[in-house]
Amino acid sequence: MDVELVEVADFLRRHAPFADLPGPLLNRLVQQSRIRYHRRGTVLYRHGEPNNSLHVVRSGGVDLNGADGVLVERVEPGGSFGTSSLLAQTASAVTVTAIEDTLVVVFPGDVVRQVAEDDATFAAHYTSTAQKRLQGANRHNLSRGGISMGREPSLSRTVESILGRAPVTASSEVSIQQAAATMSEHRVSALLLVDDDGHLEGIVTDRDLRSKVVAAGADTSAPVRTIMTADPVTTTPHTRAFEVLLEMTGRNFHHLPVVADGRPIGLVSSGDVMRLERSHPISLTSQINRQTTVAGVAEVARRIPGVVATYSDQHVSADEITRLLSTLADSLTRKLIALVEAEIGPAPQPWCWVAMGSQARHEQGLASDQDHAIITADTTDDDGWFAELAARVVDGLEACGQPRCAGDAMATNPRWRVSLAQWRRQFSQWIQQPGSEQVLHAQIFFDMRVVHGETSLLDDLRQAVVTQAAGNQRFLGHMAAMAVERTPPLGFFKGFVLEKGGEHADTFDIKAGGLHGVIELARVHALANGVVEVGTTDRLVAVAHVGGLSQEGAEELVEAFEFLSHVRLTHQAAQVRAGEGPDNHVRPDLLTGFEQRHLKEAFGVVSAAQKALAQRYQTHLMN
Amino acid sequence: MAWWFSAAAKRERLAGKLSPGPLRDFVLAAVPAPETPVADLRLLAIDLETTGLDPASDRLLSVGFVEVDGDEVVVGSARHVVIRQDQEGSVGDSATIHGLTDDALGQGRSEQEAVTTTLAALAGRVLLAHHADVEVGFLSAACRRLWGAEPLFEVVDTMQLQYRLLSRERDTDPPRGALRLWGACDQYNLPRHAAHNALSDALSCAELYLAQVQQPGAGGTLKSLRP
Repeated sequence: MDVELVEVADFLRRHAPFADLPGPLLNRLVQQSRIRYHRRGTVLYRHGEPNNSLHVVRSGGVDLNGADGVLVERVEPGGSFGTSSLLAQTASAVTVTAIEDTLVVVFPGDVVRQVAEDDATFAAHYTSTAQKRLQGANRHNLSRGGISMGREPSLSRTVESILGRAPVTASSEVSIQQAAATMSEHRVSALLLVDDDGHLEGIVTDRDLRSKVVAAGADTSAPVRTIMTADPVTTTPHTRAFEVLLEMTGRNFHHLPVVADGRPIGLVSSGDVMRLERSHPISLTSQINRQTTVAGVAEVARRIPGVVATYSDQHVSADEITRLLSTLADSLTRKLIALVEAEIGPAPQPWCWVAMGSQARHEQGLASDQDHAIITADTTDDDGWFAELAARVVDGLEACGQPRCAGDAMATNPRWRVSLAQWRRQFSQWIQQPGSEQVLHAQIFFDMRVVHGETSLLDDLRQAVVTQAAGNQRFLGHMAAMAVERTPPLGFFKGFVLEKGGEHADTFDIKAGGLHGVIELARVHALANGVVEVGTTDRLVAVAHVGGLSQEGAEELVEAFEFLSHVRLTHQAAQVRAGEGPDNHVRPDLLTGFEQRHLKEAFGVVSAAQKALAQRYQTHLMN
Repeated sequence: MAWWFSAAAKRERLAGKLSPGPLRDFVLAAVPAPETPVADLRLLAIDLETTGLDPASDRLLSVGFVEVDGDEVVVGSARHVVIRQDQEGSVGDSATIHGLTDDALGQGRSEQEAVTTTLAALAGRVLLAHHADVEVGFLSAACRRLWGAEPLFEVVDTMQLQYRLLSRERDTDPPRGALRLWGACDQYNLPRHAAHNALSDALSCAELYLAQVQQPGAGGTLKSLRP
């Protein structure tokens, strides 16, 4: 008898390790499965109690807490738990609590063990997990033993071969604040904590700082070991990349410490491993670079949304994906410029092509349009070459799926194709005479990044702009007024405010009402504090560093920004998969309860930061 | 004398009038007592797709069902039976709602086979459905057509249960939409199923039931779940 409940089978097939399970084995599991519901706050089973089932979260989520009450893992939809006690046939090492109303699919232990016997990959997924949890020790043999799955040659590489720099570590005795400072300094999102002998004791991630410190209002002078995940799941230098990938996607981990002889020798991220896959967007870059015609470049570019849409499903952070899209946009631009230069000859003088707006901030989405400009070293008597180049590159980018800028902020516009000296005058005018209308149109010009050509031209310009802007309260006031104008779509009673009618009825605009709020806040604060960073997250971190925002306030905005970006990308990826054009109009009723709650929190953070900014610059007094 | 009016007695009297067959077997199976605790209750979540809402004139197109034992949905018990349409006429526009085309329906099983399978699965269980009047009405009409009598069904209706749970918390009637299957599922953070057919709706109904009986005030016995 076939599995009749295709919904359950389809759901499982989207998640490791079920994704690779042969049909008959998956059917056997589904046939024997049960579905249970647990209200928020319910304890499913406790530490020390027996458990003889594999559980997969269908909707909602659960927390696994160790005997000491410390959070070991948060399991979200598609993730599983119960395997350690099930396979080792021991009492549970954790207490499992539903953190929201949760539906789980439950598989009896007998069937799971049978299937594990018949399928080595399935077994490896869980035995490695179980053993790591139980022993946390070095396990060369397991990771080397009897697995021959490696469809992608690169994924059968060992962890050792993809390890980058030495891991950033700190003593577990340092304070939470010191740990966070170390992470900021090294720009890492995870910190490994070691004892005096250099043995791994725990890990702390950005997520921990959010959920266990900021959200919980914890004292940041407390030792970091109070919030770290102790004895984290680790991997060995000889483990194969695909096993690590399964491990991380199955458990929703973004980081896995690599340990040899008890000492951490590196940290692999989900991004590291995913980049090994042939279908990964990063390989599109090399394909773009191989093209010899505009049509060829456009052909590769048209595959970008589909590939990225697939990746947005796989626990890659929104930050990684928008960075990737921006990098791909850079590659397209550079390739198109190179193709045009090959035809019309080299530039008559030093110059650079500058990306503006989201591409400059490394925050490009799937629906971003073109924003760019040209800076030349000297006043251009020979504008013809640059005009020709701009026209061709803009056509090329359009063929690649990037619409022209509606506001004509493009290098084809003679106003935005001028010399360094003219750019300086333009910025001085914006800053000295900030009529609201002027500043409105000039906003994206404060987000610039060189994609091709002489980087020093923009460096000079940026330094001049930042110095002028930082001291000009009137200009900053106008920028602040712009930043607080569009408030998040959150109603008085904490409901979403939706469009009432028209094409986008029952949706809200996540860009105008949410993401842009954070972007503009970060821009004002950066300009006010002389910060030259361009990315929104980079700006917020740098502003907090110089004291322009509280550490906590900046972290909250960074988290809100990441979450809003995530919701937008998921929305756009779904549209791309459905063959629709991506946009920013999100329907809240299609989000999970979990997402809705977090979205409201994120909007609340933006709204509070806007109020604080309005207060500081007294924006209500401005015209 | 009280026994004469009990459900068991009614069933025995009905069985006495029936010739041996699927309906008689169903009628004779023991039904859970009203005092059965919810934790021990055995139910069958059923959803029917039909050409319309009138059991007298509209036809059954498909049946989906899945067992609920206590606080668990028994996934392996799920069945989806499409019913062959021998009569003249096409399902026409109703195909846009249930997604069953004339072609799919031409390859199904007979109504008698489908109802027999359903009754066998339902024997000894409570019929669980969202707006159960439709399921009870169509199954009764089919039994009358096939075997000349209508059985008694022990019923729990998730829509009525939802109405009670929501009305308890406020003075006014629940908002429109909150009682519909998807609206109710959303309130308990339950997943939406991609497909819309008799079986996926039966599964949603079963999942909704699991959530409802865990709400405060839902009641602890079969009796307390009934209107």
